[in-house]
Amino acid sequence: MSETTRPMGAQAVKPPLGLALGSLLRADATALMRSGRTLLITLVLPIAILFITGSGRGRGAALGGGGFLVGLSITYGLMAAGLIGYPIMMARDRETGVFQRMRVTPAPAWTIPVSRLVVQLATSLAVSVVVMIVGGIKYHLTMSPGRWLAVVGVTVLGAAVCLAIGQAVVGLATTSGEVSAAGRVLFAVLIILGLVGSTGVLGGTLRAVAGWTPVGALTNMFAAATGSTPWGTDQWYGLIASAIYIAVCGTIGVRWFRWTVR
Amino acid sequence: MVAAGEVGPMATTPVLEVEGLVVRYGTRTAVDGLSLSVRQGEIFGLLGPNGAGKTSTLSAIEGLLTPSEGTVHVVGRDAAADPRAARALLGVQLQASSFQAELTLTDLLRLYGGLYGLRVSPAEAGDRLHGAGLGDEAAKRFKQTSGGQQQRFSLLVAMLHDPPLLLLDEPTAGLDPAARRQLWRQIEKARGGGGSIVLTTHSMEEAAAVCDRVAIVDHGVLVALGTPEELIDQHQDDPRVRAAAHGGVTLEDVFIGLTGGEDDV
Repeated sequence: MSETTRPMGAQAVKPPLGLALGSLLRADATALMRSGRTLLITLVLPIAILFITGSGRGRGAALGGGGFLVGLSITYGLMAAGLIGYPIMMARDRETGVFQRMRVTPAPAWTIPVSRLVVQLATSLAVSVVVMIVGGIKYHLTMSPGRWLAVVGVTVLGAAVCLAIGQAVVGLATTSGEVSAAGRVLFAVLIILGLVGSTGVLGGTLRAVAGWTPVGALTNMFAAATGSTPWGTDQWYGLIASAIYIAVCGTIGVRWFRWTVR
Repeated sequence: MVAAGEVGPMATTPVLEVEGLVVRYGTRTAVDGLSLSVRQGEIFGLLGPNGAGKTSTLSAIEGLLTPSEGTVHVVGRDAAADPRAARALLGVQLQASSFQAELTLTDLLRLYGGLYGLRVSPAEAGDRLHGAGLGDEAAKRFKQTSGGQQQRFSLLVAMLHDPPLLLLDEPTAGLDPAARRQLWRQIEKARGGGGSIVLTTHSMEEAAAVCDRVAIVDHGVLVALGTPEELIDQHQDDPRVRAAAHGGVTLEDVFIGLTGGEDDV
């Protein structure tokens, strides 16, 4: 049976917001599910990190325990999706004229990026739940509903941080090649600085700085959310840093975003 | 009376009115005071050499750029003041546009249906694709189809909401004769339903054959406007046109004569 809301051939109408946004969300979710590279980055990477970091006798405990490793794996996934998956997909669609085609429809232009961000956020959340379940089984974690909620909250915050940074990348870089290169370099730098820096190997100053990086801020908050450490000063700093990243990178990403490469 | 959400009556106003359009990119003027009007049911050709300002003109009509000066009205709707209402009355096929690589033609029809205010079921999308001769491609992705199929699909998306005005930017570029003919059948069908069409093309033969009227623009300025026959009559004695002609004067000779096309080569 036809589901058309008005007869074909009737007068042109502005689309209801719910219909336009719903159509975009369905399409973006389908596209994401069918994108092998994005799925690999979003789902496989954090699970792989979970097993790699925890392999070897006593290594998991040495790195901060199961709860810390679950948080770390989720952070890796969020960073990869936000800094590599999302911006590359945006840059590619910008370069091939997908956005221009959408912009000549009567749907509000803001619905296009909002739909992408919502789908990415939802996917990150779903992946985080999978990582938590797998990590919970692997490390025999028993978390109260409150802790689960705390992890979900930090995941949403972390996804927002990473997507804001990704949006800034796609706003400042033009071609998909530039976006891809910038995202990968930034990913590597932030992971090294946030993870290795926090161990103290790179010195006391970098250790302090690491806590303010996206990776450092998120791993600290995840550690508290999973119960590995109590919520303290490092976590408050992480929360403040996250808010700053979202505000600054989000503003840059929106202000300098261009719909075309020309 | 117009129902809630509807954009407005067709009435007898021109489908498209462009008045004193100026488009500037920094210090460069791409369109310089262009005025034209398109009537209901008309196929209107916008012709000009590369860089003449055709795509900038279409972009201003589509609301993709804000004109530096001048106005654009689509069925009486000011494209600058109410761009969404104007876009709802437009079907657009862009010169350089694509669709999400991961989505099938069915997915894409459902998506664009939603963006134009239509809730299109998979069955209905299949019917529409079948009607455009793309029934066998329904489960394929856009990039997996041939050039001719891509152009026909783009046109199908542009016509999804039965707009009163279609803007086609070089719709037949790169198509073989059979694919071009199939596309023209689709375009004629749109016109048959009462729609108007503005198109750009580099094929003067095509413009002469299908356009009711053509406008020739050069360096952003309108240099000629009329039916192909009128333009030939008006300019056949122009020395520049005669110099371009090899035998009887054609629209292509008029175009080359007025735009200095051969000098550029």
